[in-house]
Parts: sequence; C-alpha cells; structure tokens
Amino acid sequence: MGKSIVITSGKGGVGKTTSSANIGTALALMGKRVCLVDLDIGLRNLDVVLGLDNRIIYDIVDVVEGRAKLAQALVKDKRFDDLLYLLPAAQNADKTALNEEQAKEIVDELKNDFDYVILDCPAGIEQGFLNAVAGADTAIIVTTPEISAVRDADRVVGLLEKNPLKEESHLLINRIRGHMMAEGDVMDIDEITHHLGVPLLGIIVDDDEVIATSNRGEPVVLETENPAGHGYRDIARRIEGETVPLMKIQGTKPSFWSRIGHWFRRG
Amino acid sequence: MQSVVLRGNQDGYQLVLDQSAGFEDIKLELRTLLDKLAADATTTSTISFDVLTANRLMTQDENQALSKIISSYEHFTIHKIIADVITIADATRLKEQDNVHLVTQTIRNGQTLTMKGDVLFLGVINEGGRLLTSGNLFIMGTVLGIAQAGFPSNEEKVVMGELAKAQQVRIGEQISIVEADQPEPDFQTVAYVNDLHVLEYGKLSDLKTINPKLYHQIGG
Repeated sequence: MGKSIVITSGKGGVGKTTSSANIGTALALMGKRVCLVDLDIGLRNLDVVLGLDNRIIYDIVDVVEGRAKLAQALVKDKRFDDLLYLLPAAQNADKTALNEEQAKEIVDELKNDFDYVILDCPAGIEQGFLNAVAGADTAIIVTTPEISAVRDADRVVGLLEKNPLKEESHLLINRIRGHMMAEGDVMDIDEITHHLGVPLLGIIVDDDEVIATSNRGEPVVLETENPAGHGYRDIARRIEGETVPLMKIQGTKPSFWSRIGHWFRRG
Repeated sequence: MQSVVLRGNQDGYQLVLDQSAGFEDIKLELRTLLDKLAADATTTSTISFDVLTANRLMTQDENQALSKIISSYEHFTIHKIIADVITIADATRLKEQDNVHLVTQTIRNGQTLTMKGDVLFLGVINEGGRLLTSGNLFIMGTVLGIAQAGFPSNEEKVVMGELAKAQQVRIGEQISIVEADQPEPDFQTVAYVNDLHVLEYGKLSDLKTINPKLYHQIGG
C-alpha cells in the first residue's frame, strides 16, 4: 500500500506543478513506483512539464465517467523503466466534473499499485482543492517567500487543520533568492516556517534552469549539478525517511544552515 | 399532601407549588385556595404573590396558565415566578459569561473564532484571522490579524495586550485600523471605546479611569 501526497498552496504560480513533477521524478530515480495525478481539471499542465503531453489518450474524467479503465488512462514515462506514470487531467471539463468520493476512489486504487501517489492540486480552495485533499494521506504545502503566497499557505494550513489528513503536513519553500533574503527584503526561511507553524520539508532556490528544463519537458531534478534539482532530490530523500541537512543558500546568513528540516517517515 | 401552600414572611406572600404534584392538581388547588382567600379578604389593597416552583421548570404555557388564574381575582397579582433550577442551556450560558476562557490555538488567515465571555488569548492570530468575543479580550499571545471584544455591539468591553502588530482592533461596532492609529508597542496597552464612541488606546495603569467597572471586577 503506497502513500498519497497532495501538493497544494492556495495561491497560483508558486510552483505546485513543477514541484509535483520534480518530487515524483526524484522518487522514481530512487527506484520507487510513482503515479502523478493532475487534478487541475480544465487547465492541465503537469503533462507538459513532464514532456508527456502528446501521449495522452484518456484522462481522469474519462475514468470517472467509465469511458476508460484506470490502467488505460495512465501515461507511462519511458525514461524511468516502468516507475513513473501520469494520470492526466481533462481539458474540456471543469473542476466540478469530479467530486471528493470519486477522487478518493481513484487515489485509493492507485495506492495499491504504486509506492507514491502525488496529487497535483489546482490553485484555490474550491472543489478542485477538496478533490485533491480528499484522497491524500499527507500534504506538502508549497509557498514562496512572498507575503501573498505565505498568507494563502496560512489559509490552506488552516483548512487542513480543520480536516486533518492521516499524517502531518509539511512545508516546501520555493523560489528562494539568497540575496533578497540576506538583505531582509523577503521573509527568511525561519520566519516563514515559524509563522506557518508547519514543519519544513525542504527549500528550492530560484533558478532559471527550472523554467528552461520544464519548457523542454525534462524535470530539473534530472540535472545533477543544478541547485534546484538538488533541492528536490533532498526532499525526495526526506520523504523516504532519510535525514538530509538543509542545503546552503548563496548569500544568506549562516544562522539557519545548521537547521535540519523535518521529514516524512513512511507509515 | 397539599400541592399548593401559602406562606407569608417579611418579603410578602408566597405560593409554594409541590414539585411532585401534577399541574392539573396544582391549578385546581390553587383555585380553591384563592377562592377561600378572596372570600376571607378583609382589605381591598392588591396582594402580590411570589410563586415558588422548587425543582420544577415550568413551560411558558404553564406560566401563562398560572398568571391567568391568579389575575382572574381582582386583588391578586403575580410578582414573579421563581424556580430553584435552570436548564442546562441556561447554565452553560451563565458559565460561559462568567468564565475567562483560555484560547491557545493558532487562528489562521480566513478563520474566525467566536467566543462568549472574557477570553485570555495565548495563541497566535495570523494576518487575516479573527478572534471575536462578547466579553473582554486579554492578550498574551500574538495578534497579527483582527481582535474584537464586545462582539457584536457592546462598547463597554476592552482589548488588552500587545496590539501594535494587529491589523484591526474592534470593540462593539467601533473599529481601529492599527496601521493608521499606531498604538505604541506595549504589552500593557488597553483599547477601549471612549465617551465619544471612538476607539482609543490607553495604558493598563489608567484602567481605573478608563473602565472602573472592569477595574473593580478584576480586583485591581
């Protein structure tokens, strides 16, 4: 029985889809069987980031409405030797095409076959969010150091606290710019973590390659030298229960280098 | 066993209803008793009764039935109906009003916590979070959002504690935008509504003049 993890944030554009693709890929690189589920129905793009967009035949709405079997709708990523799959979202439907029970049913079915089911949540806190959270065992809340993103993350943490998942949520701080943090222009990692009161899973530095690679349909985690890719690999290792110190950020104060993020233990 | 007993003491006349008697019996006996009294009455002044129901809670209808019987006599009225018991709902309400409630949770963006009575707040109100209470609000935690005392419309309540980082402080219907009003950073700040119905910030040391009632209540 695998574990389902929802990647959510509240605010749009903070890197949920990129993080889903990269964490999923990193786990597959570690030899885990991973299924990525795109729940952003109507605005799917996890397939694009993974470079699988031209292989889609059926989608999640087809499965729910009985036009396809779940196994038929899964798109295999050939780079990973039967380890990484994608269940794509529909383009020509909206978030109400799915309800919580249906989403949970699909996730539960996938959990039988995979070690990890990564759920890419749409922005917002409406039906799409409810669907994504319904089947999740735990959540990774993605935020950036921007106040608006932190506020929305706070809102989402509140919603998750109201209806707790099986395991405690974790925080991923994305798009960190070392020099801005050092100069105090944005909240630093300790401030954000403390403000939200959610254990830190990992940090990802802002790097041009993240966009460049996702445009090519190759998650940045495949680049061995890239700091953002390194961050995602660290996160995957922490999800697997390893103890990995928090990476150093160029241009920041040394105070939090010694900090070690919290991590998941597989249940 | 009589189900209605007439008593008199220095407070006046009391009709004591037996708590185990049926209501129909009570009505019957009450009429008999009052008939007798009315016949014996030597004065023309009105007699006002306290009705004691002991451990019986009467319904609105029963109360009305009693009133009707008693007021049907020219010289008799009901002063008040007193029971020794109250419903659990009423008891809870009383308890809520008198207790100082401890709140330790984090109130996050978009969340509203509504309380009754006084609140001692030890948690965190994040930006966009709201803590509302009908009583006073004593803050030892952190307020980055909205804190309201006297919700929804009681302007006699106060908010105390460090308020300089809050978004808004509200008392009753009065609202202070903290950024505009800039209370001094001080954990002994007291926000209150003054005689001109304007929310103002003062110091704990001035509480006696700001709100004498509260000052005496907390034994200052």
